[in-house]
Amino acid sequence: MKLPLVRFISRILVVCMILSPLHAGAGLIGTDQVLAAGEATAARERIATILERAEVVRQLQAWGLAPDAAKARANALTDSEVVELAGKLDALPAGADSTGVVLLILAVVLVWWLFFSK
Amino acid sequence: MFACAALALGGCVSLPQSEALRASPPAGLAPRVELTAVPFHVQEDFLCGPAALAMVFNAAGAAGDVASLTPQVYLPGRKGSLQAEMLGATRRNGLVAWRVAPRLDSLLAEIAAGNPAVVLLNLGPRLFPVWHYAVVVGYDLEAGEVILRSGRRERVAYSLGFFEFLWQDAGHWAMLALAPGRVPATAGEADFAAAVAALERVGRLQEARAAYRALLERWPDSLTGLIGLGNTEYALGDPAAAERAFRRAVAAHPGVAPAHNNLAHALAALGRMEEAEAAARRAVALGGPMLAEAEKTLQAILARRAAAPAVRGTTP
Repeated sequence: MKLPLVRFISRILVVCMILSPLHAGAGLIGTDQVLAAGEATAARERIATILERAEVVRQLQAWGLAPDAAKARANALTDSEVVELAGKLDALPAGADSTGVVLLILAVVLVWWLFFSK
Repeated sequence: MFACAALALGGCVSLPQSEALRASPPAGLAPRVELTAVPFHVQEDFLCGPAALAMVFNAAGAAGDVASLTPQVYLPGRKGSLQAEMLGATRRNGLVAWRVAPRLDSLLAEIAAGNPAVVLLNLGPRLFPVWHYAVVVGYDLEAGEVILRSGRRERVAYSLGFFEFLWQDAGHWAMLALAPGRVPATAGEADFAAAVAALERVGRLQEARAAYRALLERWPDSLTGLIGLGNTEYALGDPAAAERAFRRAVAAHPGVAPAHNNLAHALAALGRMEEAEAAARRAVALGGPMLAEAEKTLQAILARRAAAPAVRGTTP
């Protein structure tokens, strides 16, 4: 009597098992890893980038972001952008200006030019 | 006033790009383009980054305004927005962030192709820079002008030379925010593939999949494009589509181990363990820097195959 039910359940289990992804240790190789492949130092560089990303998060917090926002924003950067930023966040250009400052500075530049170029 | 400044500055500054462009405009470049449909977002103090992004996002069909984008790019302590974060915020909003080559002719070619560009300008002297983001929406070669949306002005025209002067201290930095499916007019395969992979990395999988498809339309054998398409299909729960992409990858690049490794995963997810094992064995045999991954894949497939016959015995 119970046999058909047991069979039914075992079939479902087989299907589930076959169609589930392979076990956790094995995975697809990421697209960015394929991009970076070919360089012998890839693995070492990746570890360095992880540390630098943490450094960027810390710096973003130091410049006024909440921890969650800093993390989310740092995670949106590529490895090469992280390398560009890490340790240099206070020196890189931060686009900001409003028009008033522009006009003032243009005026200063013009005056400077008229004064010194003759 | 700006024309005067440009004239004045022209005397003491070398502006090779605009001079070359004026002397011999690239063949095939439309003489005059203005993308009038690009909306305008007025900039409040210090918020030119969010305002510039909002304009190009809207033009690409994505939502966004200064209020919603400020928390994504504005850095309070610096009273401004960093270039890298302009690119990052673009990805977080599901658009492909792409750096234009630092050349005036490349920038104008993108405008002609309908892609407004965010540029970084220095409005101050070199020693005391005043950094400012603006959006280039047009140009006129005959008049020698670049047309921008900038700060509080919806339309401002600078002479090519003056624009180059403002642009050069930022290393001629320009970026596009592209709707997934669009490929920049001046893109190369490698740089565009990297831009799409970056979108995939932040988890915008559907947009990345659309962008990989567009990449493959232009470069059908792109390894990054085929692996990326397969990976996004797999992650979005379509192993059959992933298999098709990985098959194309191994056909075009038979010596690339990751293509075989990922094909093995797609086949295993489809329950075709024999084919999966064969693909994994090829990945292991090819070796290379990802050998450890391929070995893990093969072990997992062998473990699954060892377990499966015992279970299969209970089914009729």
